[in-house]
Amino acid sequence: MKKLWKDKDLLRIIGGGLLLIAGFIVKIATKDHASAKYAVPIVFAVALLVSGLEVFWEAIRGIFKGQLLDETFLMSIASVGAFIIGEYAEAPAVMLFYLVGEYFEHRAVRRSRASIKTLMEINPDRALVSRDGEEVEIDATDVKIGDTVVLRPGSRVPVDCTVVSGNADINTAALTGESLPVAAYAGTALQSGVIVMDGVLYAKADRTSETSAAARVLNLVQEASDRKSRQENFITGFARVYTPIVVGLAVLVAFLPPLFICLSRGGFDGAVLREWVYRALMFLAVSCPCALVISVPLAFFGGIGGAAGQGILFKGGCSFDSLAAAKIAVFDKTGTLTKGAFSVTEVRPADGLGKDEFLRLVSSAEAHSTHPIALALRAGAPDAPAAENVREVPGKGLLAVVGGREVAVGNLALMADIGADVPAGTEGIYVARDGKYIGAVSIADTIRPGTVPALSELRHLGIRETVMLTGDAEAPAKKIAAAAGIDTVKAKLLPEEKYAALEDLMSRTHEKVMYVGDGINDAPVLARADVGIAMGGIGSDAAIEAADVILTTDAPEKIPLARRIAKKTLRIAEENIVFALFVKIAVMVLAATGVLSLFAGGMWVAVFADVGVALLAILNSLRTVLYPPKPCCKANEAPAANA
Amino acid sequence: MTYKFTVSGLDCPNCAKKLTAIIESKEDVESVKLNFLTEDLTVTTELDAIDALELVRACGKEFSKNVSIDRK
Repeated sequence: MKKLWKDKDLLRIIGGGLLLIAGFIVKIATKDHASAKYAVPIVFAVALLVSGLEVFWEAIRGIFKGQLLDETFLMSIASVGAFIIGEYAEAPAVMLFYLVGEYFEHRAVRRSRASIKTLMEINPDRALVSRDGEEVEIDATDVKIGDTVVLRPGSRVPVDCTVVSGNADINTAALTGESLPVAAYAGTALQSGVIVMDGVLYAKADRTSETSAAARVLNLVQEASDRKSRQENFITGFARVYTPIVVGLAVLVAFLPPLFICLSRGGFDGAVLREWVYRALMFLAVSCPCALVISVPLAFFGGIGGAAGQGILFKGGCSFDSLAAAKIAVFDKTGTLTKGAFSVTEVRPADGLGKDEFLRLVSSAEAHSTHPIALALRAGAPDAPAAENVREVPGKGLLAVVGGREVAVGNLALMADIGADVPAGTEGIYVARDGKYIGAVSIADTIRPGTVPALSELRHLGIRETVMLTGDAEAPAKKIAAAAGIDTVKAKLLPEEKYAALEDLMSRTHEKVMYVGDGINDAPVLARADVGIAMGGIGSDAAIEAADVILTTDAPEKIPLARRIAKKTLRIAEENIVFALFVKIAVMVLAATGVLSLFAGGMWVAVFADVGVALLAILNSLRTVLYPPKPCCKANEAPAANA
Repeated sequence: MTYKFTVSGLDCPNCAKKLTAIIESKEDVESVKLNFLTEDLTVTTELDAIDALELVRACGKEFSKNVSIDRK
């Protein structure tokens, strides 16, 4: 907090205000006295100078730099103009109102900025590392990959790291918005920015500070304000033409009507000119587009900051537009609607082959694959030796050499490729050895608990059609779709066919399409959709690059929440645009028609309307930071699950 | 090289625009991006880090006494 006597803006306001009051006292005291003719203007002139000197100075500097339509210049003209036409009291009053408005505006902007910034203070400056058996505190940016990071209770994780020893509960709210603590133990991967609640952890740094999760989140949020929404672009364009138009209108109002009136009366009339100049000066009071140029970007900034606090990262204002407008929602299945963690439900080795031997064979073949199906297949015999010469066949499966024999694990298409005959009536994942079918494994994926309510909430929020794209077989895909409440299923798609399926869908509709995926193997699809949402994608560069919205967790309920935030933010921005324009146009109409002149001090009203609108619009924008309300109020709103 | 700075004391988008114009007008500066809301200043210049900071600080002073610029 600045000391009162050091806050020059405030001093100017107080000084000018006192002199203004002094002016009124002098005016009353010298009433019916000859000295009023000089004393009153002099006191008001001093009041104007005290309050407005800085503004005048700025205006003059602006003129030399060719910035004629600068707001300081316009306010200078308005106040000095008022003085010249004999409205002595109004001149300093106009200047004062302007300063008071600016003062509060700046405070509101600072306040908003600070409250948004606290949301983002998730990247710790310091880190405790263990070097040569000693714990030393260093700058977080100096932590090297492989360093042992010591995490004490209450500390923030400085870099992405993996726990080596110790047990603790961690709070991931800074990244995910979820405040439920999560247990961390040896092997747990920690992202930077999360807080260790109790217990001490020793962890190995996997990344440097700059490439860790918290820094990625901050970078995204900061760059987000560069990708502007439709509203922001409108405002930028509008601000460019608004001031010149209003000033032009002011000039016309000042001189055109008096010209006609005087011509028709056949003589110059000073009172008429004075009245119209006065009306024109009121135009200048509302000629600044400040209310809009501050409040609209602020609304988006607040929306982006508020959403980040919920674990939803918007890549820019433009993502709000398309997410709010989307009518068709397309989902990847595995890892998005479902947990993406498969488990083996049935093992059917062909005759003459033991179950264990069969599982070991499959596990060997899949030993190096990171595909979720592979993880499930390996679970049956985790210690089986890795196969050699593994070749993945995208969308089909893989070929490998186990114990010198060629093994194929995959779907029907793969079996067809190698010429293995599959007995009719079997399903699942097929295994062949040396080109001969030797059995099948059934696996199943389970739907995420949040998927069903999230989809039905999306419908309430205006999503007309839901589509699922998957590489999975028709039957399991349809099962999941039915459970989740998906309208259309496109199954058995190879990765590149997903892209084509989305293109096809988009070419058949003029409505906006959103796509939700995990961002790992569907980056092109994420990028192609009108709005791509990557779930749990903060760790993946490809997902961050391709998506428009990144969810830091894989909780499906964040999808409708993101859409609600987008809609709310757009609404607040639009409210501000409509409100500010309405008041400004109203002031101009009332000024031009002379209604405002009827009031004592119509110019005060005009200035007050202008700065008041700006202030209200800024406060309105701040609501985006507070959105959404705490979850307690959401329970009744959420539609019942219909599974 | 591209350098990032934090600017404090900017109260209106217009001020940010003016400061941007001042920095842009300097000979050694290739490009300037100043985000009024996040207070982030990004400058691309051939200067080294120390000279770049000095240059933007001088521009800040030229614009207003209330503006202070620091390395990020």
